[in-house]
Amino acid sequence: MREVVELERPEVLTDIGQETLRRLLRVWFDFERRLAKVPIVRRLDLGQFDLNDYQSLLLNLRPQVVEGARWIARCASSFDREHADVRSVIIGHAQEEHRDYEVLESDYVASGGQLDAIQAQARNPGSEALHCFLMYRASQPNPVDLLGAMWIIEGLGNKMANDWAARIAELVPGADKFTRFMRYHGENDDAHMDKLYGLIDRICVDQNAGDRVIRTAKVVGRLYAMQLEEIDHAE
Amino acid sequence: MFAGLSQAEAGGRLNVYINSTGAFLPGPAVTNDEMEDILGLVDGKKSRLRRRILKANGIETRHYAINKDHETLYSASELGALAGKNCLEKSALSLEQVKMLSCATTQGDMVIPGFGSMVQAELGMSGIELHTTHGVCTCSSMAIKAAYNNIRVGDQPNALVVVSELASRLFKNTRYEAAGSSKAIDFNAEFLRWMLSDGAGAMLLEAKPRGRCLRIDWIRSFSHADAYPVCMGIGATADAAEQRTWQDFATYAEAEAHGALLIRQDVRLLENIVKLGVDGALRLIEEGVLEIDKIDHLLCHYSSHHFKSLIYDMLDMAGARIPEEKWYSNLYTRGNTGSASILIMLDEFLSLGKADLGDTIVCMVPESGRFNTAYIQLTVVHEDRKAENNA
Repeated sequence: MREVVELERPEVLTDIGQETLRRLLRVWFDFERRLAKVPIVRRLDLGQFDLNDYQSLLLNLRPQVVEGARWIARCASSFDREHADVRSVIIGHAQEEHRDYEVLESDYVASGGQLDAIQAQARNPGSEALHCFLMYRASQPNPVDLLGAMWIIEGLGNKMANDWAARIAELVPGADKFTRFMRYHGENDDAHMDKLYGLIDRICVDQNAGDRVIRTAKVVGRLYAMQLEEIDHAE
Repeated sequence: MFAGLSQAEAGGRLNVYINSTGAFLPGPAVTNDEMEDILGLVDGKKSRLRRRILKANGIETRHYAINKDHETLYSASELGALAGKNCLEKSALSLEQVKMLSCATTQGDMVIPGFGSMVQAELGMSGIELHTTHGVCTCSSMAIKAAYNNIRVGDQPNALVVVSELASRLFKNTRYEAAGSSKAIDFNAEFLRWMLSDGAGAMLLEAKPRGRCLRIDWIRSFSHADAYPVCMGIGATADAAEQRTWQDFATYAEAEAHGALLIRQDVRLLENIVKLGVDGALRLIEEGVLEIDKIDHLLCHYSSHHFKSLIYDMLDMAGARIPEEKWYSNLYTRGNTGSASILIMLDEFLSLGKADLGDTIVCMVPESGRFNTAYIQLTVVHEDRKAENNA
């Protein structure tokens, strides 16, 4: 039987929830600045981004997107019955995203890439570090800190949909037809972000929980930026 | 030490007060429909973007220091000197008693020497300590901070801050024609033509409060030039791959023909000021320096009305909502005068008598040049209430 999703976006957060939200925003802004310095993102900002860049981006994102469904599913299974409401939200989330990589693959093929090439692409060092960290954290009992990971990854989904997809379509001829993965993310992400807000109050019940969420958000931001930096370090 | 004050009294550092403010806006207010008559038609054609850009920025009137014949009626240093005189006329000090002049501008009349020297000469001040900052909207905060710190450590008993902007000279139709005519003018090159205008502001800082005045609680800023490309500037061409800046061309004529002397805004990057403006506020909240609930008046220099609601909403989302009725700006009637805006805004705000004794005023300046954000907190005090003055 499907569990009832009880968490909704609250009108007003608790004091500790509000403080954690402020800290999460700061971590996000810092992550965005870090991202803006990554060579492939800088090229996008400066209008020097081409089809080659776009294909490299998809190639390097895919392994993480494939693994994304796994860590979220594992995260859900690591919550005990005291956290059944949290688990419900996360299961729903995992279900919505667990086949996103297929959209990404079809974008790659539509852009002129070979399906077997993208399917054979190994994780770059940044993806490897990110994947290992997320799987490790997701395997801990009641991994509430992964709210911080979702904050960064969902936020980036929003950024791709609202910012990157249109910019790529401007710079890469025909890309409006093969930026479906990035755009599609935007359609669901408002709902995802609302669920995250609901989780903030539920999870950040004391300073310690808030601190753990922030630390994980910072680590995930660093490793995500590293994943994108590694695109320019490919051998 | 100055009479009646010791450093120990203020915990090793002196309090600094804004005892007077002043402003100067040249000529009559220019309406939206009159702008193009003054700035001129590029290639004899009306702009197609004017209405759209004006609708977004919300500005209804502004002032220009140039006339229809493109004669400069007041130089940038004259504008500054007139604001400085206006400020001193309302103060207890004569020009001869001022010991420091701290000036800021985005672009003065001359490339060299520093703008402060030109304002000093215009005002006729002798033997003062001089300071000049240059940048975009936040360079005024830097000039105020230099003056504030100089008084705080006891090096000077007072300082006059003068900030002046004369952007209209950049917007003459002939400038755009020299850069390749209307065909070469994209949205980014035209955007600021319908936004920036001229004016100057001033303030007098002293270690001694006089009557009802403003105590400076703190001045802070956060710069993010490392993270983002240039968002507003003069000196580079529109082509991001072109490495040369204006002085790298064989002649200035060649630089101008390449569009390197046009003022440009990268509109796509511009929205970053919202996040960065909020980011700075959150940092100050985290440090315990800024208490949102204690703000009585927020003077925010947003360049466009468009950004006001975005900043408001993002602060709200962060649980740092500042109610609408506490916001003040005269952008709509005085125009966007860049770095001078915040001083012109403070001067007019104080003249309205909306600030009561004990009120906290926060000035916020998110700058798009290459993303610096500045914050100033002031408290309305009175010289007769000593205990409160030193809070």
